[in-house]
Amino acid sequence: MSKSRSNKVTAPSFTVPDNCAIYCKDVNFVYNPKTPFQKQALNNVSLTVNKGEFVAVVGHTGSGKTTFVQHLNALIRLQSGRMYVLGRDLGDKKLDLKALRGEVGMVFQYPEYQLFADTVLQDVSFGLKNFGVDKDKRVQLARDAIQLVGLDFDKVKDKSPFDMSGGEKRRVALAGVLAMNPSILVMDEPTAGLDPRGKSEILSLVAQLNRERNVTVVMVSHDMNEVYENADRVIVFADGAVAYDDTPRNLFRFETQIEEMNLEVPAMAQFANVLEANGITLPDNCKTVRQMYDAVTALRGKADV
Amino acid sequence: MFRDVTFGQYYPADSFVHKMDARIKLVLSLLFMVGIFFVVSYVGFAVITLYLLVVIALARVPLKSVLKSVKGIIFLLLLTAIINVFFTKGAGEPLLSWWKIEIYTEGLIFASKMLLRLTYLVIGSSILTLTTTPVDLTHAVESLLKPLRVIKFPVHEFALIMSLTLSFIPSLMEETDRIIRAQKARGADFDTGGLVKRAKAFVPILIPLLVGGFRRADELANAMNSRCYEGATKRTRMRKMRLGWRDAVASVIVVVLFAAIFTVYGMQSAWGGIIWLYY
Ligand SMILES: Nc1ncnc2c1ncn2[C@@H]1O[C@H](COP(=O)(O)OP(=O)(O)OP(=O)(O)O)[C@@H](O)[C@H]1O
Ligand SMILES: [Mg+2]
Repeated sequence: MSKSRSNKVTAPSFTVPDNCAIYCKDVNFVYNPKTPFQKQALNNVSLTVNKGEFVAVVGHTGSGKTTFVQHLNALIRLQSGRMYVLGRDLGDKKLDLKALRGEVGMVFQYPEYQLFADTVLQDVSFGLKNFGVDKDKRVQLARDAIQLVGLDFDKVKDKSPFDMSGGEKRRVALAGVLAMNPSILVMDEPTAGLDPRGKSEILSLVAQLNRERNVTVVMVSHDMNEVYENADRVIVFADGAVAYDDTPRNLFRFETQIEEMNLEVPAMAQFANVLEANGITLPDNCKTVRQMYDAVTALRGKADV
Repeated sequence: MFRDVTFGQYYPADSFVHKMDARIKLVLSLLFMVGIFFVVSYVGFAVITLYLLVVIALARVPLKSVLKSVKGIIFLLLLTAIINVFFTKGAGEPLLSWWKIEIYTEGLIFASKMLLRLTYLVIGSSILTLTTTPVDLTHAVESLLKPLRVIKFPVHEFALIMSLTLSFIPSLMEETDRIIRAQKARGADFDTGGLVKRAKAFVPILIPLLVGGFRRADELANAMNSRCYEGATKRTRMRKMRLGWRDAVASVIVVVLFAAIFTVYGMQSAWGGIIWLYY
C-alpha cells in the first residue's frame, strides 16, 4: 500500500481500487474477550489480494490463518480495522451476508465431514437452493460442478455421499462450493489427509479455475511444495500477524527465517538457492521438477557452446 | 455460539467442597434436589438461598461461573414461569385480564416459586460439576451403584459410558460450531422463516453431527480394543476414594437441614411440588 492510499483509508468515502478482491487494514481479532480465556488471534493484519490472484496463506499451527480466512465471508465478524471483500464493507452492520457468501466460496478443512444429504446431487445443490436458484438451473450447475471435480455425474448423482471413499467425498464437498460459481475461492487446507494423487488432482483443478475462469484463490496450506508450485504470492502468518508477504521465489530465499517459523523450504526452492549461492541464477518460474530440468538443460546448452 | 454453555465444566480450586469425597457430594446434591421440592414458603427459600451462598463461598468458585449455567437455560426457565402465570387459575378476582388472558395473584406466586426451584436445581447441580471432575463423578457413580452388581447390572460399563459421554460433550460442541459455519458458508439460514423452515434448517447440522459422532465412537472403540481394554475385571484404581472429616461434617449439617425441611413441610407439599413440576 502506498502512503497516500493508507491515509485515505480513514476518510469515510474510501473506495477500494477496482482490481482489488480483498483489502484489509489493521484487522485485529480477540477470541473470548474480557474472559480468562481471552486470546488475540489476529494482530494488525493488513494485506490486499488482487482479482485473479492465487495467494497462499501459511504459518505455524495457531498462527491465525483459519481465523483470518473465516473473516472473508463474514463467518467471523470484523471486530476492529477495515476489511473490504469485492467492494463490500465487512464492518457494515447491514452487510448482505447471503450475497457475500454466494460470491466467496469457502472450503473448510475436511469438508467431507459436512456432507448431509441423501444423494450427491442434493448435497451439491444445497448451496444453490439456499441462494434461490430454480430447479432446472440447479441441476445444470450441479452437473457442471460434479464433472469439474472429475466425477461422473450420471454415475454418482443418486449415490449416497456416505457410501463414497474419502477422496470422492472431498470432491463432492468441493463441487458443492464450486457449483455456486464463486469469484473468490477460499480453502482451508484443502489437501490435508489426501493421497498424493488426490492432492495433485485437487490442486490442478484449483489452478485451472484460477487460470481459466479467473477465480481469485486464497489457500491455507501446510505443504510448502504445493504452495511453491501454485501460488502467485505467499502470506506468512506468525502469532496472528503478517510476517512476510512476497512471491514464493523471494520468500523462500530466507531459508533460516522460514525454518525459525517452523516452516519448511520447498525442495525446488532449496535447489535453486544452492545454485544461486554458487553463482548460477535461474529464471523465477522454476517451480516444478520439469521446469527446473528445462532451465538447467538450457544452462548446460549455453555452457557447452 | 455454543461455547457459552458451561454446564458441566470443572472449575479448579483448593477448597472445602473440592476436597470432599465425590460420592458424598453426589448424594448430598441429590438430597438437595429432592429437598427443594418440599419447600413452599418464601422463608424456606430464604433458608435455601443462604445455604447455597454458604456452599458457594466454601467452594471458592466465583458466583459468576455458577450463574452462567443458569444463563444457559434462562429462556427455558422464563418460558416455564410465563406459562405458569397464564395458566394458573386463582380463587378470587383476576389481578389483570384482557381478551382471554387472566392473571391471578396465585399464578404469580406459583410461578415465582417454581422459577426459584428450577433455578436452584440448576445451581445445585452446577456446584456439583464445578467442584468435581468428570472422572471423580463417574467413579462416584460407579461406587454408589456397586450394590447393583448383585443383580448383574454392568456397573463398570455404565460408569464408562457416562464418562465417555461427558468427555464427548466439548468436542461435539466444537464440531457443531464448525458444521454450522460450513453450512452458513453455503448460504444456510438458521435465523429466519417459520417454525417448519427453521426445524428443517437443522437437518444439515444434525446429520453430519450424527455421522461424525458414530465415526468418533468407532475410532474410540478401535483404540480401546487395540489396547486390550477389557473392562473392570482386573482393574485397580490409582487414587482410592476415602471419606474424611469434611464429608462427615458436611453430611451431618446437610442431613439435619433437610430433615428439618422435610418435617416442616411434610409429604403433602412434596406432592404439590411434583405436580407443579409437571404443569
Ligand atoms: N473458537 C475459538 N475460541 C478460542 N480460541 C480460539 C478459537 N479458535 C481459535 N482459537 C485460538 O486462536 C489462535 C489462532 O487460531 P487459528 O485456528 O486461526 O490458527 P491456525 O493458523 O488456523 O492453526 P492451524 O494451522 O492449526 O489450523 C490459536 O491460538 C487458537 O488457540
Ligand atoms: Mg486452521
